[in-house]
Amino acid sequence: MNSEYILQMKNVTKRFPGVVALRDVSISLKRGEVMAICGENGAGKSTLMKILSGSYTSKEYEGEIWIDGKVTDFSSVQVAEACGIEMVYQELNVMLDASLAENIYVGNLPMKGIVVDYKKLYSDTAVMLKRVGLELDPKQRVRGLNSGQMQMLSIARTLSKSPRIIVLDEPTSALTDKETDILMNTIDDLRREGVSFLFISHKLDEVFRIADKVVVMRDGAVVYENDVKSVTEDKLVEAMIGRTIDNMYPKQPAQIGEEVLRVEHLTVPHPSNKGQNIVEDISFSLRKGEILGIGGLVGAGRSEVLSAIFGYITRGVTKDLYLNGQKVNIRSPLDAIKHGMGYVTEERKQTGYIWVHSIRENLTLACLDKIFPRGIVDKNTEKELADQMFERLDIKAPSVETMLVNLSGGNQQKVVVGKWLLSQPTILLIDEPTKGIDVGTKAEIYKIMNELTHSGVSIIMVSSDMPELVSMSDRCLVLSNKHITGELTGSDITQENVMKAAIAS
Amino acid sequence: MNKENSKGKAVFKALLSKNELGAVLPLALLLIVVAFVNPNFFSTGNIFDILRTASFTFIVAIPLTFLLSSQGMDLSVGAATSLGGVICGMTLKAGVPLPLAIVLALIAGAAVGTLNGILIIKSNLPAFIATLGTQYLVNGIIAIITNNLAISNFEGNFKQLSQYKLFDQIPMPIIYAIVLGIIGQFLLTKTRFGREVLAIGGNKETAYLAGIKVNSRRMVTFIGTSVFASLAGVLIASRFASAQPAAGTGTELSIMAGVIIGGTSMFGGQGTVIGSALGAILLATITNALILMNVSTLWQNAIYGLILIVALYVDKYRRKALSGE
Repeated sequence: MNSEYILQMKNVTKRFPGVVALRDVSISLKRGEVMAICGENGAGKSTLMKILSGSYTSKEYEGEIWIDGKVTDFSSVQVAEACGIEMVYQELNVMLDASLAENIYVGNLPMKGIVVDYKKLYSDTAVMLKRVGLELDPKQRVRGLNSGQMQMLSIARTLSKSPRIIVLDEPTSALTDKETDILMNTIDDLRREGVSFLFISHKLDEVFRIADKVVVMRDGAVVYENDVKSVTEDKLVEAMIGRTIDNMYPKQPAQIGEEVLRVEHLTVPHPSNKGQNIVEDISFSLRKGEILGIGGLVGAGRSEVLSAIFGYITRGVTKDLYLNGQKVNIRSPLDAIKHGMGYVTEERKQTGYIWVHSIRENLTLACLDKIFPRGIVDKNTEKELADQMFERLDIKAPSVETMLVNLSGGNQQKVVVGKWLLSQPTILLIDEPTKGIDVGTKAEIYKIMNELTHSGVSIIMVSSDMPELVSMSDRCLVLSNKHITGELTGSDITQENVMKAAIAS
Repeated sequence: MNKENSKGKAVFKALLSKNELGAVLPLALLLIVVAFVNPNFFSTGNIFDILRTASFTFIVAIPLTFLLSSQGMDLSVGAATSLGGVICGMTLKAGVPLPLAIVLALIAGAAVGTLNGILIIKSNLPAFIATLGTQYLVNGIIAIITNNLAISNFEGNFKQLSQYKLFDQIPMPIIYAIVLGIIGQFLLTKTRFGREVLAIGGNKETAYLAGIKVNSRRMVTFIGTSVFASLAGVLIASRFASAQPAAGTGTELSIMAGVIIGGTSMFGGQGTVIGSALGAILLATITNALILMNVSTLWQNAIYGLILIVALYVDKYRRKALSGE
């Protein structure tokens, strides 16, 4: 006990090929302190967690981690655990068919000789459950619990290991208000016992309620740090978004025409929290030649909205879609394509391209009608279409026969976009158009989007990239807490307004 | 990395990108070794014998090439083979004319494939276990309806189906295999169906989002596999003039090994019917060579197992090399 700090990160830099995820990050956490970490999507929060959990070993990054005033080599997950650091992740991670007791004490079961001491297990579990406000039988199976209860169970598991430092990642996103209260009280109790917390959250009201100190991260660096008592909400928002906007968004407004698509009463179930909706009864419309931006934080349901419109997710979805005033039924991507839609998904590798196939095969995938007249390939047409798109998008590869696996992320994205251009949609849905691609390619993607709107195509664009969202959108919707919390047009589309709507509840 | 090294790597990659290589190299090696040990190997009779054996394997390997390249798999093909022979044999015995008997056998095969499809596509069960289940189910049904006795002493010209030799030289199964193989290769490389199957195997979600009818295409590959397997069963029954209840037992893994070693990826997205033909020939050659070299046939299973494992390694390594790791 020779230092007032239980944990210090000193000048930690973590690089990925082509990207710096953490840039010279230093933070110091005192005993019994709750430190909130805020930042936009992609600010580096999850990388930070992976370093503290030992998932990225000390060889994979630069900088030092000090525990109790002594430099400690975080060479494995075990070292992190031995230092008393425990993580509570946002994604629920429980064994559905095991009992509550087994979930809490997995890997750490109380033993009596060579058999499990069930009596002690169940009595210990009862204590833990009480601590997180779960009035349930320790022998009960986890299946059947709601997501809030599962989240509390994960927290109980963490507490059972008597940690000294707890890292919470968006712990309240699955919780009801009452459960949130219980969690806040539990944190308060533990803090008095000397346990320290890193509290990662988008929700500023919670930050003000529970944290002693707040750190804002942006683009992998700590940009702001202060005692919670002496900051205001406006100051935090400013710190979260305050980057300079460079001149790479050559938005050229197109002629905006009639309404082409109207979405009414769209409800989409939450992908992981059973029984909850991620968006509920939202309605909006899209006009010819328009880029409609959709902003919001991760988990606000933006991607789910696009997937539901396109018929990619259908289970539990209710929606009324009108194309040019006509009601249409879209129950599968095939239906959507027949109605002139295209969808560039966020996860290129999982849902965008086929990595063992060539550029040619990927580009023509959504227009097989054209290249297989009567079911048999027309090689000339295929080659022509592929070559044409290859040149138009300036894809950097030896030839159209190069496999996607050998392309850079930016060029892969061009191929995915090209695939939908070849299907000649009138409505294009794009989720994170420039995620993980270099600056030069970004500008080219924007150029293509401008060309499309000028030719009368309408675009719905989901983006977490604030400058992109603000400068490319003709109109911008913001989703938060299942609803549209902002609709911005013209000069009202600013980073401040989007961020304010995105954290509204 | 120095220049020479990277150049060498490039050549190696180019070689690996020829998917069929996995079958060609060992085949060539084997031929050289056997030729030294026993020159009789290259007699016309022996060559046709090998090709005939390979034909039965290959006829099942054709649809299996589609199935594996769409990331499917089927352990019930051996059972479907036995079923095809048995149904054809039993209906013939009951006085059903030959063409109708063959159609009934193929319908029985289609039923097995449909069951597989429903279990795997509609109910989302893992293909490995589900088709293992149908394998046992079908073998059980065969045992019940045949009392585990072979059906033989056919009247008429059922035998001629497989035993007739074109120009007194070429056994008919080879002709069937060549014709079906050409159709298969055409289907896989030149038609929309083939492109869709490969796309599904390469990335099911991407294919679905591009408007491909993923479930219906997968269903066709499962049904096709069982139908071709039952056809092979009919031909095998004709070849031996006897429908054995266990005619196809144990063939499922060796056929799959042949397909994989021929260059079709277990991971989906890539397939070649020509490679599967080479794979089937390789396996038939090994069996034949073992006999000619006086190695006990007891070794056969061990060697097939070894080949399957090696084929999987080659497949995995090929993938890695392609991704530039």
